[in-house]
Amino acid sequence: MTITAQAVRRDAVKAPRRRGAMVAPPWLFAVPALLVYAFVVLYPALSGAGSAFTDWSGVGEQRSFVGVDNFKQLFHDDQALGALRNTLMLTVAIVVVQNGLGLLLALGVHTRIKTRMALRVIFFAPVVVSPVMVSFLWKYVYNPSPDAGLNAVLGAVGLGGLRQDWLGNPSLAIWSVAFTVIWQCAGYSMVIFLAGLEGVPAELLESAMVDGAGTMARFRHITWPLLAPAVTINVMLSTVGGLTLFTQIIAMTNGGPGYATDTLSTVLYKQAFVFGKFGYSTAVALVLAIFVAAVSFIQIGYLRSRETAA
Amino acid sequence: MALDQSVSRRRLLQLIGGATVAATAAGTLTACGGGSGSSSSGGTLKVIGAGSQEAGLRKALDDYKKANGGFDFNLSFSPADQLQTALRAQLAAGNAPDLHAVYPGNGSAMSMVQLSKANLLADLSDQSWTQKIPTGFKGAFQQDGKTFIFSPGTSVLGAIYNKKAFATAGVEVPTTWSELLAVCDKLKKKGIVPIALGAQTPWVTQLIDYALVPGTVYAKTPDFDDKMTAGNASFADSGWADAMDKYLELQKKGFFNDNPNGTTYEQATSMVGTGKAAMAVQVSAVLQAFREASPTPDDLGMFPFPATDVAADNWIPGGVVVGIAISAKSKKAEQAKKFIEYCGQPETVNAWAEAVACVPLYSDGDAKVDPVLKPFLPYLKDNKAVPFMDQRWPNAEVQPTHFAVVQELLGGKSTVPAALKKMDEAYRKSA
Repeated sequence: MTITAQAVRRDAVKAPRRRGAMVAPPWLFAVPALLVYAFVVLYPALSGAGSAFTDWSGVGEQRSFVGVDNFKQLFHDDQALGALRNTLMLTVAIVVVQNGLGLLLALGVHTRIKTRMALRVIFFAPVVVSPVMVSFLWKYVYNPSPDAGLNAVLGAVGLGGLRQDWLGNPSLAIWSVAFTVIWQCAGYSMVIFLAGLEGVPAELLESAMVDGAGTMARFRHITWPLLAPAVTINVMLSTVGGLTLFTQIIAMTNGGPGYATDTLSTVLYKQAFVFGKFGYSTAVALVLAIFVAAVSFIQIGYLRSRETAA
Repeated sequence: MALDQSVSRRRLLQLIGGATVAATAAGTLTACGGGSGSSSSGGTLKVIGAGSQEAGLRKALDDYKKANGGFDFNLSFSPADQLQTALRAQLAAGNAPDLHAVYPGNGSAMSMVQLSKANLLADLSDQSWTQKIPTGFKGAFQQDGKTFIFSPGTSVLGAIYNKKAFATAGVEVPTTWSELLAVCDKLKKKGIVPIALGAQTPWVTQLIDYALVPGTVYAKTPDFDDKMTAGNASFADSGWADAMDKYLELQKKGFFNDNPNGTTYEQATSMVGTGKAAMAVQVSAVLQAFREASPTPDDLGMFPFPATDVAADNWIPGGVVVGIAISAKSKKAEQAKKFIEYCGQPETVNAWAEAVACVPLYSDGDAKVDPVLKPFLPYLKDNKAVPFMDQRWPNAEVQPTHFAVVQELLGGKSTVPAALKKMDEAYRKSA
């Protein structure tokens, strides 16, 4: 506590001198980077956005201006609305379970158990595998045949009654996909929570222990509030990841059975490349981008205020 | 620490500089290599073919290269699902390969009609072989009187079956719908899956409908497509409803493998190959895949899948197989045209057709046809073959809608009238 306070005071003394001595870097330095950014990101994005107001098929030169027709169609499109519902369900499941699991894993490997380093590596390992690889792997696990993959394991341990058509049952498929994403990404949340846990001062926890606070009380009143920045980052990243989920769906179910696992990303992809409706697809993409940005801003506003309160 | 940082930063810059120089050098070298290569060989034709046509296309290219010294090609293949996306993205970006796969007729984003309307395909009409295209198939090759694709012939759709499994159950090839049900029943009682269905793979979902509608729709209304175009017919009020009811009847009676929606095309193929299942409704173009999945390929045969109890009404689906076309923007169009002219020679057509188990588009004298296809030939001769339904659909949305509604039906999430209503809605959307 004392050390922290001293460090803060030292910074306060030094900072103005350092700032005064330094010359603000000219904006000119940023120009090359900005040009590249404008050329690679801004120009394609903006020129692409223009297509949202046309009926362009994606190939050829023919296109005509259709105003906001694509956007009107979007709000009457059962497939897009179903995909929106799926996207929200997936996002909520992923944000809650992935971060909950990530936090439990982080707390688990933050203890003094001997295998903690090995466990950290194991839990993080799926994160470094390509999502397509993970999806194909899990497609094997989810093989509906009773003598293959997960169903075989269930049969072997006497739980044959729980065997399922994991990806073929329209009511179950979306949760099977969600589980795969969570399996892969929980390690990522764990690492961020671990970084947060490393930053919780040991002296605080010790003094609380001396004061008689139990494990739960210490977590609730010290660790959890101080983890606020890690929570912000994790919730933000998993929300954006969930809202834009694409790879795992295309690789595992292609949006099926029927439309049961279509998300906004797969719908906009299919509209562009399967149905040949590039204009409409761009409209979906634009709405998705605005939606993700809005959710992120609201979230970050709330979570930041929570950090300050803590 | 500060020293470390500055050193590492300088080192980093050196590394970046080095990497840039190396990359530039590599770029120059590649450019040189590419340049010299193309000048010596007269250019390499970039070709992307459909996976199902690999054996035939590769043979045609190899043979042509042997006969023409300066010719070379760079060939790659795409499975059906990726043709729609990867290749289309290249077309959109304006860097299409010189020769690429295109679906005949209309009905998909990679179909001849859709791409030729966008001016992306070179006109082949001045080639002599185009005169030999049988009248009934012209719609698959031509738009506004101009020919845009080459295709080696027609493939048929029916049941690929395992003769051993049929023998085990003591059943013969069925010729009517009732016989088919009886055969399935006997197979099931013997513990053999009657029909393997890998409906998780989208394009597989359509095949049973395609096998049934020639009998339930086209045998009674041969001009059904024209009526649909004119707005005088709909899927919902047609034999399509019978076909889908029959599709679901097969499921309800337990004649498919468990969980077809969770089973892939590859899994279904291996079930028939190994005799775990007795048959699968498939196009003849994939026979090779079934043969590869079988320890005894000669045990595999094909028969027309009967749709009704009136033998005369049992027409077959037979369509022009995926073809190749020349990109309108190709800089090597002349070379590519010479190759297509070569493909159009009757010998090449025959060799290609034989390699992919399809019936050649035309032939001088007797064509060599895979013996497995013999039961289908009388139907082709008697004009009882209907092109694959999607080739006459007006936009690229009907077919994927069909895939999705079949999965919904198999998953118990929809009804036949609701499914056909969705297909009608997709059909009425503009092209």
